[in-house]
Amino acid sequence: MVELTETGIDGLDGILGGGIVRDSTTLISGNPGAGKSVFGLQYIYSGVESFEEDGIYLSFEENAEDLRQAAESIGFENWQEHVESGAIRVFDKRELLRENDFSSSLEIILDDLQDSRYERLVLDSLTMFQLFFEDERERRTYLLKLTDILRENGLTTVMTNEQGTVFPETDIGLENFLTDGNIFLLQTPTESGVNRYVWVAKMRKQDIDTDIFPMELAQGGIQVHQNASAFSMLGEGESPI
Amino acid sequence: MASVDVLRTLGNKYSAEILEAAEEPRSAQELSDELDIPIATCYRRIDELTEHGLLELHDNVLSDDRRRIKVYRRSIETIQVAFDEDLAVEVEERSTVTNKLDEAWRNLSEPACTSSS
Repeated sequence: MVELTETGIDGLDGILGGGIVRDSTTLISGNPGAGKSVFGLQYIYSGVESFEEDGIYLSFEENAEDLRQAAESIGFENWQEHVESGAIRVFDKRELLRENDFSSSLEIILDDLQDSRYERLVLDSLTMFQLFFEDERERRTYLLKLTDILRENGLTTVMTNEQGTVFPETDIGLENFLTDGNIFLLQTPTESGVNRYVWVAKMRKQDIDTDIFPMELAQGGIQVHQNASAFSMLGEGESPI
Repeated sequence: MASVDVLRTLGNKYSAEILEAAEEPRSAQELSDELDIPIATCYRRIDELTEHGLLELHDNVLSDDRRRIKVYRRSIETIQVAFDEDLAVEVEERSTVTNKLDEAWRNLSEPACTSSS
């Protein structure tokens, strides 16, 4: 029996058959503005609010104040309270890149990972993290080592991944093969704004619905509409990954 | 002992200069040109430093004329010598993101780490 961690994202847990596999690493890919960071914030926030699971949020993209404002603007009012109580441990851009020396920050992070208090982790973004490595082989090796470390420390992890054009001509990066799960956040412009979709492309050990579902980015975070499958561009159960 | 060997290697002409320049990966030819070291001496020093773990082969890069070139990078940050009691040479390895992850990853398989349950 596979144990699952609920993402707390309305509608998504249903598509996932309950949640993401405990201690696994899931990659959330999408272009800028697709909602990757909101996904991460919501995953950590609902962990604390609804599931009594504390979380670590690593951001190479923003500083703590930006994160707080982003969280509060989508209605995660208690974000700061949880940060202050330690239920949410934030490592922001400034802290991670202090004195241009990520390796000393990494030491602190690795210490915190071993602290059994935390069960969820967000890395925003993998794209930035991988800049610390010199070539593709090194990036690949250390992504695998990192996911091992996270798994062994009992952390169910979500990593965001910057991706250019996502669909339909998907350029599938190696990262997608190395993580346990892949979720793509898609957006298409319309006359009135933008239509948003979520596509769960792969989940190891899980029977999932690989259709593409419409989602909204609004107050309260991401909401996935489970009953209105938008496309059937892919054959049933066929994933290119 | 080993400590004294490290110091001898370090004391050889050009060794310190090579280590200083090899903060970033450098080929023997580059080091020879930059530091004005005869190329044969440069190779010899590189071998000695590598043998004592002070310098490491970092990669084989492809040159403009499509040859493989070895580039070296220093693997240490600091060396401390203590003369009280026994001579002690303490070598502090360069702290890098990869080192840290390697170490944490190695520790996973050690029995001290409680298995995930």
